[in-house]
Order: sequence, then structure tokens, then C-alpha cells
Amino acid sequence: MIRSLSDFARLAREKGPKKMAVLAPEDEEFMLAVKKSSELGYIEPVLIGNAKKIEEAAEKVAFNLGSFQKISGDEPQGISDLGIRMLFSGAAPIAGKGQIPTSYIYRSIIREEAKAGSDMTVSVVTFWEIPGIDHLVVFTDTGVNIKPDLKAKGEIIKNAVFVYHLLGYPRPKIAVLSGQREVGGKLTSYEDYEGLQKAADAGDFGACEVVPATSFTDIFLGGRDRRVDYGSITGGEMPHILLVPCLDTGNVICKLDFFLDVTRSSLVATSRGPVCIPARSDFNDNIVQQIAMSVVLADRMEKEVQ
Amino acid sequence: MLNSFKEILAAAKLSGVKKLVVPSPAATDLPLLAEASKAGLIIPILVGAGGSLAALVGGSPLAGEKYELVDENDPGSILGRAMALIRDGSGDILMQGGAAPQELLDALRDKEQGLLPKGGVVSYVSIFSLLKREKLILVTDTFINNNPTLVEKQQILMNALQLARILGIEAPKVAVLAAIEQVNPGIPSTLDAAILSKMGERRQFGKAIVEGPLDIDCALSQVAAGRKGLQSIVTGNVDIYLVPEIDTGHLLAEALVFFGKMQTAGMVMGTSKPVLLNLPFISAENRWVEIALACLACLKGANNG
Repeated sequence: MIRSLSDFARLAREKGPKKMAVLAPEDEEFMLAVKKSSELGYIEPVLIGNAKKIEEAAEKVAFNLGSFQKISGDEPQGISDLGIRMLFSGAAPIAGKGQIPTSYIYRSIIREEAKAGSDMTVSVVTFWEIPGIDHLVVFTDTGVNIKPDLKAKGEIIKNAVFVYHLLGYPRPKIAVLSGQREVGGKLTSYEDYEGLQKAADAGDFGACEVVPATSFTDIFLGGRDRRVDYGSITGGEMPHILLVPCLDTGNVICKLDFFLDVTRSSLVATSRGPVCIPARSDFNDNIVQQIAMSVVLADRMEKEVQ
Repeated sequence: MLNSFKEILAAAKLSGVKKLVVPSPAATDLPLLAEASKAGLIIPILVGAGGSLAALVGGSPLAGEKYELVDENDPGSILGRAMALIRDGSGDILMQGGAAPQELLDALRDKEQGLLPKGGVVSYVSIFSLLKREKLILVTDTFINNNPTLVEKQQILMNALQLARILGIEAPKVAVLAAIEQVNPGIPSTLDAAILSKMGERRQFGKAIVEGPLDIDCALSQVAAGRKGLQSIVTGNVDIYLVPEIDTGHLLAEALVFFGKMQTAGMVMGTSKPVLLNLPFISAENRWVEIALACLACLKGANNG
């Protein structure tokens, strides 16, 4: 069972190097992450994009691209399609995004999922490693669906449950988050919680459980005295998966690592393998972390397929 | 400018004694009221059935402090009576007490008997004390409005600016939050944010710098914003975070408390007099800060934007 981000780093060294289709690595910070991941033995990059820009970025971070496969391309959708096709065809078990807007990547994934007939919705899982909590916590969907309806939320849950099963958690716990409180009537996000809990109980999402908690007050204080006491905040009942109501909420909360003592790492799990999608503001160490995570998930997905 | 909860408490002690009206107080409210009364911040006015109120106070720490009782035997009239005391000037601050939160909000918004000026919006502002440096930040709306329209967001922002000025922040820096920092017609929150930002640019919010849309990484970090090609004096030094809707606002406030262990207090804004709620993510100690804050709001004249 994988409990921390350092577990990913350790396992990535064991299971790597794996081929990674690297899309438009034209920025220093991203290229530095590719370099470090390659040196750590996580990946063997296949560099796709504008050859000149890739060379320049590599030069800036003193990365010798000598023996790595390079495929030239200039147009973002073309580069994205090529890389994601490599993932779906099995030519590379991981893809990773550099300087291409994420929307191109999502479009490529949606097309390939349709071709593969997988029915898998595209969604992003963002892991948090939180001091004092003995497992990783995922926020989802933090990247694709702007305002998912009940059906889309069900698909998002399935994706996250799939990831947790790969991490070794046979029955992950899920909280469907909502801003529901004592005023303002019933929110759509709360109605979705009620619907998703029924669906989970009926087994629609596989082995998992939707817990009776929709807010952090519920999660942290549970049925106890409903008043925060800073000396006794523990998070002992923390579920594994936190389904956010919409993209605004997901993005605002999952990036609180800029503020709080938590570490963040995101990826997209497609039916054929992980896609690493660092935010444009992420720093290289964070990107290396995301690559390590992708390597481990790719390894476990390969085994699952076999 | 007040930069910490400690400074709010110290400033409130200089503000003179205020009358704080509590409909149907709970036993757990009394130690707090007693301390605030002892410190000379307030004189609590407790509204409820005389006999049972006297019994409640009798066995509490408030018994030895200054307080007043207003006898109202009809349980359905207690909140109305408390509101009337505020409206006629006998009370300065309204506290939730035993009123149900929805009942209280409905009463505040009542056209004849409420405390909301015409065209105003009642909103809730959370104040957080930063962990790494001495600074207070405001987050709104974290409790009251579900899905505010652009017009309501304008009012919610004005309410927060009013509170920022009570804290002595001269030219508040505002981040209008959304999922991304680019204006994307597919994401409605980015459109509202862009319009509010343009309004700010045209000085429609007075002396304030309103930047939006900002995603949280750009709002929190100037370096992150720089990497996305965004230059603004707001990034990395935000005073007010305006959220798009309640799912985000309520969960963000809770996340800062439970994951960040950040101290928080809050106040209802938009009403003609300060109103205090009783929320589970406000610690017993910080309810003190809320009383102090309300005293300061009285000092500045009116509470409404």
C-alpha cells in the first residue's frame, strides 16, 4: 500500500526507467524536471516538439539529449495528439505535458478514449500529503470538468477509485464535498452527495464507500462537539478521496499548498496509462514528484493489463 | 492598521462599552459574555423568558458582571424583540444566541423589521490570521450567499472593503478568485472576476486594487504569478479573497482552519449594525475576537457598505 509521496519516489527508482512521451518541453523548469527524472532512473524521455526550442531549454539546464528519441513538431494539437497516441498504442506507458495548454491534451485523450471504446471520462486527481495523516488524500476533479453533473461526478469517482485500487487500497473512502450548511436551502452539491452515496451503496463505483461527511467540519469534528479546538485537530477520519463540487472549488483548494504545510502532486489517469500535467506555475521538484507517481502507476497498470 | 487578533482586542478595549443583544442565549454563551463584560467591552442584554433567563445567569460567571435582562415570554417573539432593541438604538450589536441561523438571516433581510439597508446584501466575512507573518486576510462570502450574481458580488466586495477599512487597511488589495487566471467564457467565475476587476480599475470601489480572475496560486505567490506572465501588486500580498460561490467559500474557510490550523473569526456585513453568528469552525477563544471586532465596527459609525 502506498502511503506517502516518498513511497512513489522509492518505487519509481525500482520500476523505472519507463518511456515517457514528453510533449513540448520548452521551458527551463520543466526541462530540469525531465533531466532530474532521467538521472534518477525514472524515465527515458521521448521528446516531441520544436527541435530548436527543446535544444535551447536543454542547454540552459545542461541536459545532454544525445541518445534520446526526438520527434519534431510545431503545432500544439499535433504534438499533443502524437504523444497521447503513443500512450494509447503502448509505445510509451506515460505521457507528460510541457508548454502546451492542457486543453489540447484533454482533447487528445478524449479522442483516444473514444477510439479505444473505454468510456472513461477525463479527470484530474490531485494528491495531498498531509503531515499527521497516514495516507495520501486525493482531490478530484481538479482540472477538467467545470461544473460536473451527477453522472459526471460518478465517472470522476470511478477514476479516482481506480487509482486508489492501483495504490493498494481495496476499499477507499470517499467524501463528496459541498458548501452545505444550516442556511440557504439544499445545494446542488449536497443533492449530488445524496445521489452518489446511493449509487456507491448499490455498487456502481466498485469497491469503495461514500462516507456521511460533506464538509471539513464533518470530516474533522464528526459527531463530536461541533466546535473547533485547535489543540485537538487530528484528521483521524480523513477519507481517501475528496470529490470537489466544481472546478473553481477544486482548483482553489488543491493549490493551497502555496499556503499550507501540505505537498501536492497531480495527474490524469487514462485507461491506458497516466498523463503528467504539471501546472504552469509548478516548480521542477514538484514536477519530478508527479513523474515518479506516473512511473509507479504505469507500472501497476501494466501488471493489471497482463 | 490592525495586523493581528491581539491588536483587534487591544483596539476594541479603547472603543467604549457597547450593548450586545442576545436572543435566547445558550449556557455556553455565558462565560464568553461574562469575560467580555468584565473586560469592559460590552454590557450583554439577554432577551428571553425572564424566569428561566435569571436562573440561567444565576449559576453562570455572568452573575457577577454587568448585564441586563429583557423579559419576553413568547418564544416566537424573542428574536423580533432583540431586533427591535437594535433598531431603536438600545442595542449596538446583535448576537445569534439561540436563534436558528436561517431564521436570523430572514429576520435581518425583512423589509420592515430587518437591519438591511435598501439594495444591500447581507454577507459573511471570515478573517484569518496568517501563520508566517503578522497580517490579517479577509475571505468572503464564506457562509451566507450560495451563488451570488455579479450585482451581489459587487455588494459582497463592498461589504468586505468596509470591514477592511475598519481594520485600517487603507487601499485593500483584492483577489477575485476563479479556477484559472485567464478570462474563459466557459468558466463564468472568470467573467465576473474580470468585470469586477475592471470596475476596480475605474475606481468604482474607491481606494482598492481589485485583481481578477486570479487562481489561488497566483493570488498566493508572486513567483507563481510571474511564471504565468502575470504582474500585479496584488499577487502574493492579498488582503481580501473574494470567492465565486459558497461551495468554494465555505470549504476554503474550513480548509484553512482544519488543514492550516489558521485562527479565524468572522462577522456578518451589510447590515446597519454589526451581527455575530455562532459557527462551528470559530473556536471559543476567537468568539472573543468577534465581539471585539463588532465593537470596532460600531466605533466606525455604520456597519453597512
